Formats: sequence, structure tokens, C-alpha cells
Amino acid sequence: MIPLVAAVSIRDRRSRSFRLWIPLALVWLLLLPVALLLLPVMFVACWAGRIDPIRALSVFWQILSALKGSNIELNDDGSSVRIHVF
Amino acid sequence: MSEQRRQVLQMLAEGKITADEAERLIGALEKEQPASANGGSESGAKAQPKYLRVVVDAQNGHGYRGPTSVNIRVPMQLLRAGVKLASLIPVQARDQVNHAMRDRGLPFDLSQIKPENLEELIEQLNDLTIDVDESHSQTKVKVFCE
Repeated sequence: MIPLVAAVSIRDRRSRSFRLWIPLALVWLLLLPVALLLLPVMFVACWAGRIDPIRALSVFWQILSALKGSNIELNDDGSSVRIHVF
Repeated sequence: MSEQRRQVLQMLAEGKITADEAERLIGALEKEQPASANGGSESGAKAQPKYLRVVVDAQNGHGYRGPTSVNIRVPMQLLRAGVKLASLIPVQARDQVNHAMRDRGLPFDLSQIKPENLEELIEQLNDLTIDVDESHSQTKVKVFCE
């Protein structure tokens, strides 16, 4: 299952903070037409590189799915950024 | 009821052991069970690490007022999928990569990475802990699995 929500928390040096929830499901839906348009290009690229396009798609999907649970947190000089993929 | 407990009661019913002996045996089994349950959960947790964690703490004095810290959690699934990317590298590019790695003292063939090797690698990562403590810049790096 691909990640459906991401949360971005930002806090600056003055302790002002905001949290942004990104509905990735909507992002995927918006990107779907672009992905469909790019599909023939990808097939041609795979053919040129002698790569199995189905395998390429499968690996891409696996990477996308594996992003779930990722967490990146940076703190520096009192400010911080945190990205969490749900 | 556990199988061992049932066996003790069976022996008691058959008259092979006395009530005192049965009580002692059951007592010993009860003491043994929590210990084995703890041991089982530990080995279960060890068997499958889910995340690779990288933690960096720096107390540097390069004009920064506060400490810098980085905390990254990478799912193991992402590592698995990432290594599979190696199989998508075109043959010519793979040869170039292998050649470049060999030149830098890493005789490693990307095409040799198989799913079973990958699982073995991830299994071994369970025991991995890297601690880097750089005293002059007070930087600590810790890489471990959880």
C-alpha cells in the first residue's frame, strides 16, 4: 500500500511552529494522468536499456510503498523540520 | 493447559509420581514458562528489524548558537526495494559501475545481488550498531536497527 498522508512540522527559532498534513492520496490522483502520459516514454526507455518494463514498474511501486513509516527530523540552532510519511 | 503440565497430571493419575512430586514439577514448569516467554519475545524482536535509524548529534562551535541533530528512520522495506533497483541498471552502465568500484578497491559485482543475499544482509543488520564519536568537533553519529 502506498503512503496516503505525510506530515511536515516546522518550528523556527522563535518557537513558532506549524504542522502541515499533506494528503498524498490526492497528490497521487493528480499525478496519475501525468504518469499515464509518461508510460509510453518509460516503455521506450526500458526497451532502449533492455530492461523489463514490468519489473521496472514493480520496483518503482515497491519503493513508493516502502516509504511508509519514513521519518526525517532535523534540528539546528533552535529550529527544526520533521517529515513523517504515514 | 500446556502439554508438560498435562503429562505431569497424567503421571500423577497413573500413580507414577506422588502429589508432592507433581506439585514440585508444576511449580518448576511455572517458573520456567515466564522465562521462556521473555526469551521468545526477545528473539522475535531481534529476528525482524523494521527500521534503520541514523542519529547525528553535533555540538559544533562554528558560529552556531545551538546544537544540530539529525534523526532519520528508514524502513527496511525501502532498503529491500532500493537494492532491487540494482537489477534495473542497464548492463553497460552496470559494467561501468563495477569497474569504477573495482578501481576504488571495492571488487563488487552489482549483478550478484540476489534476493536471498539481501535477506541475509538485512538479517545481519539486526546486530549492527555504528558509533562514531568525533571528539574535536563533539559530533556523535549512531547507526542502528530497531
